[in-house]
Amino acid sequence: MTAATAMTIARAAGAIAWANLVRLFRDRTNVFFVVIFPIVLIMVLGLSFGSGFRPPLGVVNGDGGPRATELVRALEAAGHRIVPVSGDAEARDAVEHGRLSGALIVPAGYDRALRAYTPVTLALIGRDEPAAHRLGAALNAVVTRVTMPARAAAYARSAGVSGGFDELVARAEAAPAPGVTVAVSAAGAAGPSPLGGYEVAATSQLLLFMFLTSLNAASAVIETRSLGISRRMYAAPVPVGVILLGEAAGRVAVALLQGLVIMAGSALLFGVRWGDPAGAALLLVAFALVSGGAAMLLGAAARTGQQANALGLLLALGLAAAGGAMAPLEFFPAPMRLLAHVTPHAWALDGFAELLRGDAGLAGVLPQLGVLTGYAAALLALGAWRLRAALTR
Amino acid sequence: MAQDEILRCHELRKAFGDLVAVADVGFAIAAGETYGLLGPNGAGKTTTISMIAGILDRDGGEVLVCGRPHGPSSTWGKRRIGYVPQELALYPDLTARENLRFFARLHGLGRAEARRRIDEVLAVVGLTGRAEDAVKEFSGGMKRRLNLGVGLLHRPPLLILDEPTAGVDPQSRNAILESVAALAGEGTAILYTTHYMEEAERLCDRIGILDLGRIRAEGTRRELVALVGELDRITLTVEGPRVVPSLQALPEVRAATGHEGRVEVMVEDAGRALPRVLGAATDAGVTVRAVEVHEPNLESVFLHLTGKALRD
Amino acid sequence: MRATLLVMAKDLRQRVRDRSLFLLALVVPFGLAAVFSLVFRGIDAQAAPTIALADRDGGPVVTAFAEQALRPLERGGVIRLRPVAEEREAREAVERGEADAAYVVPPGFSDAVTEGRPATLQIIGDSGQGAYIARAVAESFAAEVRYVQVTLAVVDGGTFEGATLVPRPVAVEELGAERRQLSLAEGFAAGMAVFFLFFTVQFGFSSVLDERRDGTLARLLAAPVPRTAIALAKLLTGVVAGVAATAVLMSASALLLGARWGHPLGVGLLVVAGVLAASGVMALVATVARTAEQAGNLQSVVAVLCGVLGGVFVPVQQLGGAFAALSLLTPHRWFLQGLADLHGEHAPAVAPGPTLALLAFAAVTTGVALLRVGRMLRP
Repeated sequence: MTAATAMTIARAAGAIAWANLVRLFRDRTNVFFVVIFPIVLIMVLGLSFGSGFRPPLGVVNGDGGPRATELVRALEAAGHRIVPVSGDAEARDAVEHGRLSGALIVPAGYDRALRAYTPVTLALIGRDEPAAHRLGAALNAVVTRVTMPARAAAYARSAGVSGGFDELVARAEAAPAPGVTVAVSAAGAAGPSPLGGYEVAATSQLLLFMFLTSLNAASAVIETRSLGISRRMYAAPVPVGVILLGEAAGRVAVALLQGLVIMAGSALLFGVRWGDPAGAALLLVAFALVSGGAAMLLGAAARTGQQANALGLLLALGLAAAGGAMAPLEFFPAPMRLLAHVTPHAWALDGFAELLRGDAGLAGVLPQLGVLTGYAAALLALGAWRLRAALTR
Repeated sequence: MAQDEILRCHELRKAFGDLVAVADVGFAIAAGETYGLLGPNGAGKTTTISMIAGILDRDGGEVLVCGRPHGPSSTWGKRRIGYVPQELALYPDLTARENLRFFARLHGLGRAEARRRIDEVLAVVGLTGRAEDAVKEFSGGMKRRLNLGVGLLHRPPLLILDEPTAGVDPQSRNAILESVAALAGEGTAILYTTHYMEEAERLCDRIGILDLGRIRAEGTRRELVALVGELDRITLTVEGPRVVPSLQALPEVRAATGHEGRVEVMVEDAGRALPRVLGAATDAGVTVRAVEVHEPNLESVFLHLTGKALRD
Repeated sequence: MRATLLVMAKDLRQRVRDRSLFLLALVVPFGLAAVFSLVFRGIDAQAAPTIALADRDGGPVVTAFAEQALRPLERGGVIRLRPVAEEREAREAVERGEADAAYVVPPGFSDAVTEGRPATLQIIGDSGQGAYIARAVAESFAAEVRYVQVTLAVVDGGTFEGATLVPRPVAVEELGAERRQLSLAEGFAAGMAVFFLFFTVQFGFSSVLDERRDGTLARLLAAPVPRTAIALAKLLTGVVAGVAATAVLMSASALLLGARWGHPLGVGLLVVAGVLAASGVMALVATVARTAEQAGNLQSVVAVLCGVLGGVFVPVQQLGGAFAALSLLTPHRWFLQGLADLHGEHAPAVAPGPTLALLAFAAVTTGVALLRVGRMLRP
């Protein structure tokens, strides 16, 4: 192939790809779907993941005395997100509807009862399910720890030690007790710092939308087919290979553009740092190739635009869900996590996770890049083959 | 009001914003009469008949259908009107029969009556064999015929046809024109818009020339042509001795010229003059091989009245 | 009325013949609900975390820890306990994901504790629910040890037994609350149903614009039927299609995906109210548009935006703040809220609040749409 032919081919393919982008934005609503919608979704999801994806613990502090306040502070120190709630009924309603993971009710007279050595019961409103019982165990630990001096004071009093409540508690608190140190260590070498809310949201939506937008635009292939434009292109003095290359370039360009919009938007608006630039760029291109290949295959295989749209929606959202782009893979049970890696999304997510944690460079994501390139090659080859058959039929 | 007057409208007016589509339109149609609204695109034909059909609110004027005031909310009048819009107003994904059944029932026909009328209409428009096919499979001409058929279902005394032959093949066009003529023969009053001069000449008893939302002239073809004072032209292809002098002697003949076997005779009314012209030619001993009659044409009338051609 | 039924029958026949409605109203939402149910089933009802215990001490304190602190939790289904022999084994179990966390008790631990010397309980694993619970239990146990040591220090002649006899001054009692919340999988199934409902009802009222584009509207207007009958027919077609599609989707996800909706009466009322609201919103959007294409585009933007804000994709109502407040402006939120209210064993038969909210949506939007319908009903 001479340089001149190469130029011709590049120019023809470029023209077809450009026409695809222009057609995408001819419909003004696509500005919404490609630019505004993903950014809004990342914002909402970022806020949601940012709160640890765990509803907060409600506390009804019916007492408000120093001991009760001490208990609430200790709960906060133990890592619970505390939301003050004014009444039992409100707390129960919030727990039942999942707005709170549970609600601890500190009754009025808590302080007085402690000082009078009268046992107190704190009610924990929780749903009868494992997560609530785990919360119960955790709260029990905090309560045991915080009220230990009071219990020691009670024993001291019963054993005939003289002194008021405050005095006995102070003595207990000051008493030497080596106790048991709880030492926590990470398992193995993998001690990855967890990703922030916006980072999780941005990476997952990046993949979801690249695939979704690409598959949605696949109906353009069908429109082209039905309008006979591709036949005209076919009649133009360019080889079939160039037309297929152009269609593929068009599909990939749409996916790439969507990816760039989300990457740039989330970096500018939410401060998401995408890690090693070379690694991020290559992952983006690799996933754009995968999305473009899938779109080309869909456009060649579907009979009508409506069929392609419906199928595209199903595939794009379904694969995103299965691949961990809707709920983080960490939450998946083990077999589903394995199954998730059938989708390119899971591999790309793994790759971006390596990069975003800041410790991996290009070399660190080579395995993911390899898998994605394999997907892309297979889908593009299959898509080109089917499209060629559809065009020459 | 004449006993058999089906439609009367006067001073119709309609503006869309600043654009006055219909400024002042009025005419009347009797039973069995075909009235043609002739005008170029944009003259206000569709707006006029949309107001008459009661699908468009009018800004002014009055419409009487069978003597009663008619408007968008008058179902009494709508029952008496068969409206055939210019677009192919059919559901492409339904079959011909389903389309007909829906509109028949919508016009208040009972089940049995609808069934009977659908079969009749299918026969009239020549689609009996394709009744169960989806309309989207039809050719343009078939769709046009069905489009017309839908308007006939409830046997309306007034049929409004908006350019019913737009974009049709000659065969379907002929079939449509014949159906319309037959309906007029059965006593249906027909309001017909077109920008095809030949159709107006062939079908319409009376013609209104519409331009810029006003009726510029109205009358039979002959009356309109008389406005510009044109004559009929008879062309004879003859063999034999010179015949021109004897033709010139006839009182009906204004002028006659001959050249190499073709004789042009100008008369006021070809219909009345033709037997005399042929008689004179035979008497003069020539053999007439062919006769052509050219009536003066509405195109020239239109040109004369509006200063523009019908199709621009 | 007769004309309304005729137009509805015609419209429904057209919709049934047009497969895109079937795809968009049933196949896609159910397909997605199925995928989500498969993916999220595990997440919601997470199995109790497994905690490994490597006891290299073998003394009485460890036995007490295992028997009094860990076993009751295991019996309660909060954790699963897995004894291992070696620290290495425990570490490997955590690394391989077979255990979520592990306790390693060093040799001499019991002696250290009973003799009042510093002792360390090691936990392997620092992320996830398992590690969280392991740490909480360990700290509770540590507090207990400290208690005994403190009492012995404060009370001359105090005994271990005497100390343990004193009840804890504060106990935590779990009061079972009902779960009036959809599971993740149910939430997504319902979310998909209501999300695509907006596209299903779109085929109703907006088909006025389709008829206008195709020229058949002129014919409907020329027919001897009141215009309100036509507008009503279009609205009702969307409602009928919407109710049918949602009913099929909800029954299918109940039968095939194991979703549990509440009382049929309440769910039925909620579905009808939701469909009316969806149909009203889409009708209102349609009256703003000039062409069928414009209406379709605007409607998808509105449907998608409301879907996101209403918590179809993200549980917005749990976020609190501005987004939770904004979500109240979407019918989606009220529909999902209503289903949550109806969820659970002792849930009411109907969810009056959300149902009424949806009806209010329907009344306002449909009312405004009908006021504006005149400009649509012209050829």
